Amino acid sequence: MGIFSRGGQSGRERRAMRDHLDELDEMRRSELGELGKMTVEMAQEGRFDRARLSGQAAEVVKIDREADLIARGLEEGLSLEELEDLARREAEPDTDPGK
Amino acid sequence: MRKGALKKKQRQLEELHLDRREALGELVLGMYVQGNWDDNLLARGAAEVSEVRRELDFLAEGEEPRRPADEPSGEHTAEHDFPATGEYTAEHDLPATGEHTAEHVLRPPGDHTAEHLLPSHRDAAPDPKPAEKEPEPPTVAPTPSATAPVTTAPTPSATAPVSRPPADSPTEIKAAKADQSTKRDKAAEPKKSAKPDRSDSKASVPKATPAGPAAGQAAEAAVAPADPLDELTAKIDAGERRARTAAEAARAALKTESRTELTAITEDVAAERKKLDTALAAAAAAITAAEKKAAAAEAKLARESAAGREAAAVWVRSQAAEIEADAALAAELDRDGNVIPPPPGAKPEGDPDPVLAARVSSLEAELAAEKAAKTEALIKAEARLKEIEASARAAEERVTAAEAAAAAVPADKPVEAAPALHRTEAEAREAAVEWLRGQIGALRKELSGAPSGDAKPDDTPKAGDS
Repeated sequence: MGIFSRGGQSGRERRAMRDHLDELDEMRRSELGELGKMTVEMAQEGRFDRARLSGQAAEVVKIDREADLIARGLEEGLSLEELEDLARREAEPDTDPGK
Repeated sequence: MRKGALKKKQRQLEELHLDRREALGELVLGMYVQGNWDDNLLARGAAEVSEVRRELDFLAEGEEPRRPADEPSGEHTAEHDFPATGEYTAEHDLPATGEHTAEHVLRPPGDHTAEHLLPSHRDAAPDPKPAEKEPEPPTVAPTPSATAPVTTAPTPSATAPVSRPPADSPTEIKAAKADQSTKRDKAAEPKKSAKPDRSDSKASVPKATPAGPAAGQAAEAAVAPADPLDELTAKIDAGERRARTAAEAARAALKTESRTELTAITEDVAAERKKLDTALAAAAAAITAAEKKAAAAEAKLARESAAGREAAAVWVRSQAAEIEADAALAAELDRDGNVIPPPPGAKPEGDPDPVLAARVSSLEAELAAEKAAKTEALIKAEARLKEIEASARAAEERVTAAEAAAAAVPADKPVEAAPALHRTEAEAREAAVEWLRGQIGALRKELSGAPSGDAKPDDTPKAGDS
């Protein structure tokens, strides 16, 4: 544990979490772009396939959840192990709000 | 220079396209989260993305050598009329003064609104700029409208309709420019045909056909009958649609945020509950361990007390056997003293036989020694009896302590059998002590009765012996 560590979180872990958060943000933008592209294609076909749209949107929701989790870990100073436990616990009641 | 501007515009349009796609994705995400799908809204969002895509395609085509002269692209022409920098002024052979810049500068937003009211004039009104640009060699490449992408670029977090003001759309700016050109068309009319430029071609074909695919609503306006009221209605409808879209997007975003907050609160509650469960489990484990310890201590105490009782019983038994043996000996001696019949040829009393007297005295001495030994044994037996009693008392105290410890154990513990066992053992011990006391009492009685009866035996043997 380093000098500047906060709680059970080391500086390296914090950096890794921030990097991962950036990756997730990038991934989210990419997924949203894909979702928009898919919607445009469906609009050109004249029919919206909601199942496909829901599937793509669910991917974005997953990314959002993960980003929320990482942000929470950063905020509360959780270590990677604690974050993993938290993720496992949250993965148990896997509910899909859109369905 | 123009190529650079073209590339810049293309880049901006590409960014705009990406942003709009993301915004459309956000819209779909909001609908997914809400579970409320609106195909019309999706179609509108998709149309906006397609619009930008079309503009981008046209721009890409514009990079090619030159657009066909008959292509009706009034919007692009209108954009060219508003150069963003002074160099265009020079290109268009306009004086290098600020007034041209001022002329080409886009008007404040309010003007666009007013101009949108007159879309019908665009059909008959080509660009006024060709009049000013006439002496200039043909300029074909479309000039990027620097204002359009910058002002319309939506933020990633908002949907396209929210971030895009209606009048800032490139299409509408073009329409505004076209309207502006309408005001000046009459002055420019004679010179337009001489220009082979795209704007010139537009002047020659004054928008009889709708504008390019990027024109969007302006194109619809161009196709529609030249009724300003209809145009106005269409614009108002479009504005209302956008406002509705923006409101729905904002609502979706709000719901998403509130859902996220609710999820966070739920997670907190679940975490606290799990902590509480863990603490309760730890407390239960501690209680179980304490109960086990108490049970072990109780069993040890029971074992010790049982061993002590056993040892005491053995000792008491041995003592009792000893005392019984002593008592039997005493009884035998007593019987010997009392029952010895006088021999048939014994001499009468009065003149004692010295041998007999010696024997009597020896017997007396022996009896006295026996008595002394018995007294000593009795004293020892009393002392041992006291020890036994003390030991029994100690055992009783232990049993009482064990019972108290058993009573102190929680009521739910199955320890009912232990007190019964203790009771039985205590009763047996009590019976043994009682029996021992009785034996000792009898022995005492015998011993106490012996001296008084010894007078007789003392005498009797004398008589018997004699």
